[in-house]
Amino acid sequence: MTNSARPGAASRRAFLKGGLAAGAALAAGSAAAGEQVITEVQDWNRYSGEGVDARPYGTPSQFEAHVVRKNVPWLTSDVVSSINFTPLHELEGIITPSGLCFERHHAGIAEIDPKDHRLMINGMVEKPLVFTMADIKRFPRENKVYFLECAANSGMEWRGAQLNGCQFTHGMLHCVMYTGVRLKTLLEEAGVRPEGKWLLAEGADASSMTRSIPLDKALDDCMVAFGMNGEALRPEQGYPLRLVVPGFEGNMWIKWLRRLEIGDQPWQQREETSKYTDLLPSGKARRFTFAMDVKSVITNPSPQAPITHGRGPLVVAGLAWSGNGTIKRVDVSIDGGRNWQTARIDGPSLPKALHRFYYEFDWDGSELFLQSRAIDSDGIVQPTKDDLRAARGSNSIYHNNGIQTWHVNKDGVIENVEIS
Amino acid sequence: MSRFPEAGVLAALFMGAALGFASAQDAALGEAVFAKCKACHAVGPDAKNKVGPHLNGIVGRPAGSAEGYKYSTAMATKGAEGLVWDEATLAPYLADPKGMVKGTKMAFAGIKKPEEVSNLVAYLATFAPDGSKTSADAGAAAPSEKKAEASSQTPAGPQAPVQPAPAAARGEGLKFGLGRLAGEDEIAAWDIDVRPDGKGLPVGRGTVATGMGIYDENCASCHGDFGEAVDRWPVLAGGQGTLQADRPQKTIGSYWPYLSTVYDYVRRAMPFGNARSLSNDDIYALTAYILYLNDVVDDEEFELSNDNLASIRLPNEANFIEDDRSSEPHSRPGQEPCMKDCKPGKAEITMHAAVLDVTPEDSENDEAPAAGIE
Repeated sequence: MTNSARPGAASRRAFLKGGLAAGAALAAGSAAAGEQVITEVQDWNRYSGEGVDARPYGTPSQFEAHVVRKNVPWLTSDVVSSINFTPLHELEGIITPSGLCFERHHAGIAEIDPKDHRLMINGMVEKPLVFTMADIKRFPRENKVYFLECAANSGMEWRGAQLNGCQFTHGMLHCVMYTGVRLKTLLEEAGVRPEGKWLLAEGADASSMTRSIPLDKALDDCMVAFGMNGEALRPEQGYPLRLVVPGFEGNMWIKWLRRLEIGDQPWQQREETSKYTDLLPSGKARRFTFAMDVKSVITNPSPQAPITHGRGPLVVAGLAWSGNGTIKRVDVSIDGGRNWQTARIDGPSLPKALHRFYYEFDWDGSELFLQSRAIDSDGIVQPTKDDLRAARGSNSIYHNNGIQTWHVNKDGVIENVEIS
Repeated sequence: MSRFPEAGVLAALFMGAALGFASAQDAALGEAVFAKCKACHAVGPDAKNKVGPHLNGIVGRPAGSAEGYKYSTAMATKGAEGLVWDEATLAPYLADPKGMVKGTKMAFAGIKKPEEVSNLVAYLATFAPDGSKTSADAGAAAPSEKKAEASSQTPAGPQAPVQPAPAAARGEGLKFGLGRLAGEDEIAAWDIDVRPDGKGLPVGRGTVATGMGIYDENCASCHGDFGEAVDRWPVLAGGQGTLQADRPQKTIGSYWPYLSTVYDYVRRAMPFGNARSLSNDDIYALTAYILYLNDVVDDEEFELSNDNLASIRLPNEANFIEDDRSSEPHSRPGQEPCMKDCKPGKAEITMHAAVLDVTPEDSENDEAPAAGIE
């Protein structure tokens, strides 16, 4: 694991000092009038609340109503073909609650009765097959935690700092546990012919979303999932069936999955030619840039989650991930990349899943430039935005995994900035 | 669960084979690993050079020596220096191609697991220079034949090994018998994809002049009268020569590599909100009109059909390249990042998000920046 954020001796001293200060505060407090939430009996302490059937499907507390996905209206022409963003700054751990997973649709949410859903496998196979949902649930299953990141996540930041909040700069991201069948199992049921090299996956929605996927990836770790976080997929995530393409760009994870075709070359669909290709300053454009590179972001504090407690103990929390595998290490800088400390990774470290990191220190109330830098199991270090611009210019749109800077002023107010 | 005892039999057979024919076992597993290579390399009697050279007889072959294949200077130099491919030299190369031969054309990240590398080399060693199978492979065929027989045998008893079956053994031959055959009419109803080589194009035709009327009725409200687009809907025409500009305009004429994509996409997803409503002839006519808007054709009587669509080239086709992100300086693995005094001086702010004023909560007077997500 990683090193502790600060040496043990120093933290013990800090603990002792803190204890003395708290003791003094307690003594002062006991002389003045107590807090009413303690000294007076509160309604919730006197009256009974709602019974067990009031919320047959539980929902978050009314005091969490601000924790929602948000849209950026000017990004797209119409909410039916648009995107909203996961509120990363409000989340804990590595699992994204199903209702907060960002949405990207190209023709709205298809509402499909699972009784009417079919999955077809055709093309270069021994036997073209059709499965019902009931058929699919009779194959051996697996449960896997994977992140999904849109290739355009942070795409608005290529030209410089634009959006104030990690929800908007990094929120085309979620991580859930999927339940489903290994794609390889289904393809072997149909029997892939030796000349097959590519897979076309197609959705049943009104955009009939399609992507070409290399067959070796399809036979590796891809899944056909019907469950997320212990329950059925949400409609906006492709209910009743979606493709899971671990570590690869989110656009390939076809929702409302209805067809898999085997072929000997890619189909050059709209989403892999006119979109999801990365324009370089030379005028050339990269295509089939599938894997999501190593990346991290500090989620707290951040512009939507400023520091309101003043100086003293501060928890810096963030997320790191890589399409190559696990995260080996995360470093945090509070001075804009001049000096770095290794952060603490906490919770499961699973391949192609989000990792949670923490860096705890005593804030002295001075200006901060917070950054995080992840290193993955392949030994690739998250680059700076300047590294990326030097290599790719500013018109690539996709695959911006550059280091993010948050400026913290003396009042704890935080802003998305670019720095020297 | 009835399937799994059979897998146990297979595992037993494979392990038995492994005891007797260690190299054959490796080769059998190596064939699965070779799936990673097949897109670019061929083996066997009909193997030709593809993106990469053919690999018949690669074990024992001098580097950079496949006839008719144009090697990188780096690889040709290695061959001239006397590098010969064998287990000892292929292993480090396959694990990290660019690490061993800096400048190789092989755009492949490498195989991380040593056992996969050795299995792959064992598999490649079974191909003689003429593509025939070498005698070393004789044992490899046996287990796969037995595997086919195995699935009809009775389930294994308690002597079956407890180790899980190797991935390769769980594969073909073990079917669950689920699902049903897809009907031809069903496949025809859903399989409407079209490739650049014309595969999948339905029979049909339509002219520029016909397309203009269909476009005005179905498309112009979002895409504009001349493909210039309304609001932030996609621009379809113009933009030629802007790809290196500060604000490139990526249209069908300036950016899209293949015309087949236009036909395919319109047929599956357009008009927005009323997909699958146009006839095949309508779509040929619309596609012809889009060519006309982009000055690829200039005759209003031009007719596009399943006979000529695949022969029409869009101007930007040659400007698409494969993923070479791994060649960028910051992508080199194993770089130890700086921890102390990494940059001189104090950090200074060069740009605030607030300057653009595009944060959603306070964007009443927002001006949409160019870098939208499309």
